[in-house]
Amino acid sequence: MDKSIRVDDSAKNIHAELRHLADSISQIIKGIRVAQEPIADSRNKVPQATKQLEKVTQQTAMATHRVLDMVEAITSREGEIETQIKELRRVLPSTYFRNNSRVKRIVERICVNVSSNQNDAYAIMDALQFQDITSQQVDHAISLLEQVENRLKDVLVGLQLDVGPENDVKRKERAYDPNAHFSNNSNEQSEVDELLNNLTKEKQNN
Amino acid sequence: MSSLKILAVDDSPTMRRIIVNTLKRAGYEDVTEASDGKDAIAKMKVEPFNFVITDWNMPEMDGLTFVSQIRSLDEFKDMPILMVTTRSVKDDIIEAMKAGVNNYIVKPFTPETLSEKINQVLKSVGRS
Repeated sequence: MDKSIRVDDSAKNIHAELRHLADSISQIIKGIRVAQEPIADSRNKVPQATKQLEKVTQQTAMATHRVLDMVEAITSREGEIETQIKELRRVLPSTYFRNNSRVKRIVERICVNVSSNQNDAYAIMDALQFQDITSQQVDHAISLLEQVENRLKDVLVGLQLDVGPENDVKRKERAYDPNAHFSNNSNEQSEVDELLNNLTKEKQNN
Repeated sequence: MSSLKILAVDDSPTMRRIIVNTLKRAGYEDVTEASDGKDAIAKMKVEPFNFVITDWNMPEMDGLTFVSQIRSLDEFKDMPILMVTTRSVKDDIIEAMKAGVNNYIVKPFTPETLSEKINQVLKSVGRS
């Protein structure tokens, strides 16, 4: 075969391959462009999700403080009742409280109820510690969402696609325990105490 | 009523309110609040305290840095410190003890635990 014909065939083959390659690249670019919109859209939704979660924390905190206001008001009123009963005992003739008198029984009953109300109010207050714990859990979730947002941005930058307006809003510094959980299990504190005892013993032995 | 002057450090206003209420119920009336380690150190420099209750996870200055910093200052090196935190992992507790806390409470705590721990710390530093 003539040498020039062989070269011509090779050039045709290379040309066809290059055209095929160009078509493939064009298809890939089209694919990337199609993917750009959902990636950018997902990225833009993260701040919305973050804001919603922050609202949850703010509103839970507000509601918790409202409950605390009421608990404090209740315990204060119960304290006043206790003082008033003491005053009653002081001003009424002692005969009213002798033996098993009706007045004595009524006053004792009031004292028991006051004490129960106060204990229940304080139990409500103690349970409100959940707000600190859930807000740390929400902060952890927000932090994970922000990481996803940054990864999506990296994907857009890596593919040399439009990353949209830069989010220059200064992000809130979040201080949270990623393992925060609400537990009524008293064993948890007992385990901590056991560890503390062991550490103290080790320190004394050294 | 106790004469103890307590500084309660926590970034959560809810927790500070609960701690202050719990302390008052236990007879500790003189309680000041700080929102993080930085705020606490500023308050400690202008007001004398004889007991500190601190959280761990706080912005600006966390509890561990706060404890380490006050332990390095001569005037506060013997300050009784009780840490009250959600962190219950063994390594965290060891780290806190190494930083210089006297005792450790896991949230959520009971009023009984808080009173008991304050007494334990005071006893351990010879101030009960």
